[in-house]
Amino acid sequence: MNRLLTTAAVVLGAAGGGVLQQSAYSLPTMIRLGYTDCASCHKSPQGGGLLNEYGRGIDEAQSLRAAEYKPTDNSIIRGLSWGGRITQDIRTVTQETLSSATGKAVTGVLRNRWMYRNATELGKGFRVSTVVNIENEEAPRPLLKYERPDRVGNAYVSTALLSYRRGNNLEFSVGRDQLPSGLNVSDLGLFIKSRERMGYYDAPTQAKMFWWGKRHMVVPYVYAPGGNEPGGEHEGGGGLLAEVDVFGKHRTVVGMNMLRGTATNYSRTQVGPYARLGFGRWGVFAEHDITRRSLVRPTAVSFDQQASYAQVFFAAREWLVAYAGIERLSVEKPYADHLVAGRFDLVARLNSNFTVGFSSRVQQNMITGAIGPSLALQVAFKTSN
Amino acid sequence: MTRKSVVTSFISAAGFAAILGAASAPATSNISVDSGTAAFTVNTNVSAISVKGKSGALQGKVQVRQTSEGLKLEQVEAVVPVASLNTGMGIRDQHMRKFIFTAPDGATPDLKFSAPEASCTPSAKENICQISGELAIRGVAKPFNIQLKVRENGTAFRASASGTVKLSDYGIEPPSQFGVKTANEVQLQLEFTGKQAPTYSASAAVVR
Repeated sequence: MNRLLTTAAVVLGAAGGGVLQQSAYSLPTMIRLGYTDCASCHKSPQGGGLLNEYGRGIDEAQSLRAAEYKPTDNSIIRGLSWGGRITQDIRTVTQETLSSATGKAVTGVLRNRWMYRNATELGKGFRVSTVVNIENEEAPRPLLKYERPDRVGNAYVSTALLSYRRGNNLEFSVGRDQLPSGLNVSDLGLFIKSRERMGYYDAPTQAKMFWWGKRHMVVPYVYAPGGNEPGGEHEGGGGLLAEVDVFGKHRTVVGMNMLRGTATNYSRTQVGPYARLGFGRWGVFAEHDITRRSLVRPTAVSFDQQASYAQVFFAAREWLVAYAGIERLSVEKPYADHLVAGRFDLVARLNSNFTVGFSSRVQQNMITGAIGPSLALQVAFKTSN
Repeated sequence: MTRKSVVTSFISAAGFAAILGAASAPATSNISVDSGTAAFTVNTNVSAISVKGKSGALQGKVQVRQTSEGLKLEQVEAVVPVASLNTGMGIRDQHMRKFIFTAPDGATPDLKFSAPEASCTPSAKENICQISGELAIRGVAKPFNIQLKVRENGTAFRASASGTVKLSDYGIEPPSQFGVKTANEVQLQLEFTGKQAPTYSASAAVVR
């Protein structure tokens, strides 16, 4: 079994894609309709988690069913919600992935992840958020000579946060979570995620502040190891994410994420400008991360990495969105790596419960010439309340 | 004929034609607008959410007279079909039509603007027209002022306008959805090209 897992991980790592999308198609694409931040629809201003009541209305509206959202009147569910103070759901994402690489056989992997998500309002602005995951197959970051992936087993807590919101535009959070990121896309297999220690199991202990307004968001944060990192890679550090709506028309957001992290084996400094643009039925995401790593082990050496991602999306219908994207990764010697990938995704939101998606991706290793195509079909389900 | 004399002759002929055209042009032009754009933006109580909508079905007509003080507009009329307004989200469009544009009797009359006349102040590039008229929403007309910027482009006029509508002026409660409430003030932006309305000969009129 372990050998099978290792083989699957290596092939997936070689293909560089087809990994389970944790958030199952969150909607940063809503910038096309003028939604510049996540706080409008999500419980957390970082986005990607449970929806608030308005967000649930938008979620339903952006589906094929396009019905009016009505909060449940089921007495059992209302009772479980503690008079509306608890928002919770169960979400499952199932994905069949076929991938290959030059000279290797096609490999199929069926992945299934279950999530229980809970956000409990404690009153006076305090909220506790938890996400518990169970999965049949691990989806770690690629195993690199200078960086090993975090491992968690088949069950793990990706979010355990205590938050305090003051007013409508200021929130403080402490606990375990993903670090703030520029492009909050759900596929953590992208180079701008998986090569920047933002995989599915990277959930450092952190304290962060979100301050947002009509045209800006500023997120300073500090973090410490999450505890599941490999030896010598228990990273701690801090960073700042800042973005602005350039023209004030809720269509053109540009920002920068800056991070400095240190561990026993290395230190890294990352600078990542990004942009989210929306123009009615279509839009553009782009991010370019420049990271300088200084290793202490296995050898003392410094080298740069550049990871880029650009994506165009088009909403053929409100519920049917097509994505076309390109990725590029370039790592300097002595760990030289040069990967280029193109992908196409089609996502259909059938209703607020069901979403199906098709993804195809081709990656080429520009050094070895190896080509790794992959196809994935994903079905996501969540309970709604 | 030298090149210079050809050019001179051409300019003379063009100038003569222009003078003839000006002399024979009617004092008042009937201008019609078809497929103009009417857009609106309204903020909400949530800082990052504003609602934007658009229609590409603005129609209108106006009589334009060129005076020594600038353009003079008369009998200004414009219509935007409510059904053509689109926010990009179907459910939101339904809400907009229901809560903003549906009259007590259940009808959804088109938005109509009319003004008897307006004078424009010419500047180097365009004419600025302050138009005081009436805007009808739900079939109820209320005074409405809008500033129109007009550029002459041959026989056509390219125009843009902006104004602010207060829903409270029409007794309309700003819609609210799960805690997100729109503001009372709605910003309007219009863009259109006005062209000479077609004139028909007597025989053509008979055929029609």
